[in-house]
Amino acid sequence: MTVRRVLREIAPIVVGAAFFVLAWKAVVVIGDWKPFVLPAPETVAARFVRAWTEGTMTPHAATTLTEIALGFVAGAGSAVIVGYALARSHLAERVFSPYIVAAQSTPVLALAPLFVLWFGSGLLSKVIMCAIIVFFPVAVATMVGIRQVSGDLLEMGRAFRASRRQLLLGIEIPGALPSIFGGLRVGVTLAVIGAVIAEWSGADRGLGLLVILAQGSLFDIPLEFAALATIALLGVALYLVVVVLERRLVGDRG
Amino acid sequence: MNRLSVLIALVVGLASACGGGATPSASSAARTRLTVGLGYIPSVQFAQFYLARQAGYYRDAGLDVTFNNQTDTDVIQLLGQGAIDIGIADGTSVIPAVSQGIPIHYVATIYAQFPNIVYAKGSSGIKTAADLRGKRLGTPGKYGSGWIMLQALLGSAGLKPSDLDIQLYPDYGQGAALAQGAVDAATGFVNNEPVQLELSGTPATILHVDQTVPLPGNGLIVGVALGSKRDPLKAFIGATLRAMKDVAANPQKGLDAAVAVVPDLGKEPTTQLAILKATIETWSSDYTKAHGAGAIDRAAWTRSVAFMAGLSDSPISGASPTIDQLVDESLLQ
Amino acid sequence: MEEGERPRSRARWVARTDRRRAPKQGLGASGLTTLKTTSTTDRHDQPVAPTLTGAIQRPVDRAPDAAAPAIRLTDVSYAYRTSGGSRPAVTGITLTVKPGEFIALVGANGSGKSTLLRLVDGLLSPDTGSVELDDQVVAGPDPRVGLVFQEPRLLPWRSVLDNVAFPLELAGWARLPREVRAREMLDLAGLHGVDDARPHELSGGMRQRASLARALAPAPAVLLLDEPFSALDALTRERLNVQLQQIWTATGTTVVLVTHDVAEAVFLADRVAVLTGRPGRLSGEVPIQLSRPRVLDRLDAAAVSSAASGIRELLAGDAERSR
Repeated sequence: MTVRRVLREIAPIVVGAAFFVLAWKAVVVIGDWKPFVLPAPETVAARFVRAWTEGTMTPHAATTLTEIALGFVAGAGSAVIVGYALARSHLAERVFSPYIVAAQSTPVLALAPLFVLWFGSGLLSKVIMCAIIVFFPVAVATMVGIRQVSGDLLEMGRAFRASRRQLLLGIEIPGALPSIFGGLRVGVTLAVIGAVIAEWSGADRGLGLLVILAQGSLFDIPLEFAALATIALLGVALYLVVVVLERRLVGDRG
Repeated sequence: MNRLSVLIALVVGLASACGGGATPSASSAARTRLTVGLGYIPSVQFAQFYLARQAGYYRDAGLDVTFNNQTDTDVIQLLGQGAIDIGIADGTSVIPAVSQGIPIHYVATIYAQFPNIVYAKGSSGIKTAADLRGKRLGTPGKYGSGWIMLQALLGSAGLKPSDLDIQLYPDYGQGAALAQGAVDAATGFVNNEPVQLELSGTPATILHVDQTVPLPGNGLIVGVALGSKRDPLKAFIGATLRAMKDVAANPQKGLDAAVAVVPDLGKEPTTQLAILKATIETWSSDYTKAHGAGAIDRAAWTRSVAFMAGLSDSPISGASPTIDQLVDESLLQ
Repeated sequence: MEEGERPRSRARWVARTDRRRAPKQGLGASGLTTLKTTSTTDRHDQPVAPTLTGAIQRPVDRAPDAAAPAIRLTDVSYAYRTSGGSRPAVTGITLTVKPGEFIALVGANGSGKSTLLRLVDGLLSPDTGSVELDDQVVAGPDPRVGLVFQEPRLLPWRSVLDNVAFPLELAGWARLPREVRAREMLDLAGLHGVDDARPHELSGGMRQRASLARALAPAPAVLLLDEPFSALDALTRERLNVQLQQIWTATGTTVVLVTHDVAEAVFLADRVAVLTGRPGRLSGEVPIQLSRPRVLDRLDAAAVSSAASGIRELLAGDAERSR
């Protein structure tokens, strides 16, 4: 990748961000907003830098990242297995479909306080929340992806004497990967939301908790915004990780 | 006919002049509108405000008062923005808020004793802060005025929160947890959880923080309106303190005023009366007895600021605010 | 284990419901193998594909015991079971294919050609009669049989090279030997410089060549082709017909070509069997008396024409009968 090409890819993002920041600043100046209501972008930026250099942000960010990572792996891992079973077993599908549809319609986030009640205010309740919130999109995406794997390709595999395991690993999973990754993209952003909202229902540490602390106890609104910015950046970073993984594993298929 | 109408006009004019008294805006000119931020839910704890309005104290003072219900946090934010004129909120919140540049001042003490406390069942054997070592304690979260109170209380016995088994009840269920024995002690408000416990037949032991660190309890706080509405605010405070005296002398009157606003409170008069009486108790302390209702104890504030600045996770940002930045007694009569 | 050595203990899971194990490799004795060449890398009697430049002989010329037929179908019939009942596809098929022979199966759509091919391959199991390969009953897809489908059926996420190496990978070959073999097969099929390309970057004709290369990779004794060029344009089809003849000549594999293109059948096959009717029956055979190697522009027009009309008669005859 040449330098010029990289710059060309990044340019629109940078310009867009610049517009956003300028618009924000304009709002603050025109509306004459006080920093404890709507801080200006440079105030938030300064507070953001200070929060990291002083070590305020780090433990909270590390905790939230851990919750998301563990929850995502647990949720996505079990979802791929269940999704495969739903795709290949009519019985499983008939038994579990109603629950899956119902669960998808229920706002899982509303269960956050219950999770904290049942599983405590430590990591576990957040990991479970993330796992559940990631589970459904990935399970459905896996089921759909496995189902649309061409029967012709599978017959070809059988003609070359592929074992069940070889069919699964060599044809079914790679064939379903684009769909699975679609689910993973959705899941990873939901996981961030899930972790933060679960933290709002009770936590010892975490970016969601920091938002509440900054606003309600410390009256440090710039810090609140810096925490929100960190959450957003975390979401973007994790999404990019999934995208990069997708490029590597799904590759160029036309 | 002429003489009668002149006589009537004269009488009306005299009456209005007398009725106005020290505040000429009473019936002739428009009354000053004040937006007041009370606590999150209308409750018997605000009986004095309800009574003051129903008894006409605010009207007599030339005020047209609107009550809003907001959380403590929002009260402080709204005062800083000028969206409300005066509100009641926790004193310890004022300190970090002012350190962040929010332009508010604490102008009158309502709760002369700090209402956040730690309590336990009388049978638990917990009598002092030192007895809390190693015990299970329920609290909503590791932040807020309750957390500051807890650290101050434990500090007096040389303890830190890590010396206890702190269990979080983010949904404020620590009272129920204590009643069921899931925890040995809990944080709470002196006029809420322990009262409920006692009413259910279990005596409670209460640990106050006032002797350790005299943290400032809830009081009336003013924001940017301090500059423009000084006199009406002063009148408001005077009327409120007057109503507090009435309620203290006759709690039933206070309860009736509250029921008029929240009829549901009338369904549990015993409980509500007990809560009101516990509230009334916190309204006075040695300091207010010596210096008058609503008086602000600067020495106590100074010690509180020093205490909060010394916390490892200090909520004070940057340099500690001066007492003049925090309190303003000029609105007290 | 050394490079090039196949793991012999790997259990072959046969993808069929009856799960009988596939017969062991008996390739050397019957003369059906592709050949030994002067290559020294072959040490375990494993089939190794020769290159076009190696010393090649057609197995029919050299194998003394070539009397045993490569493929024997005896009174085979098959019906598809659907929710609406059963749909017979072929019935009463008796056919023998000699080792190294090139036979074409011609028939209209619906006459059961593809079904027949799958029965030979072992993907389907006959309702009546038997399918035998080298005197052994077929119990599932056999490593001695390669199948080329109507569509290329290449895995879109793999490179062309990895696609061609796929059957070897399934059989447990190590990376280096299978890539070497795959390159040889691509060469044989006339594909150059596309090793690292993805299938979607190739034209239809090139994809079918790759599919052909893949089927040849395990050095099958029998090659089955199911209308492999019917989806391609006429020019490409001609080119691939020529290529197929070259490959067959070079490897000496027994080939069964299913097609509805009479000209293709006549050009390529030693013998054309005609399937007609629903369910399909063998209505007759036409031997092709053209000398090898056959060059497109220099075919004996009379022989071509008589063979073609013989085939068409058989096709039409049954059409009349079924009216």
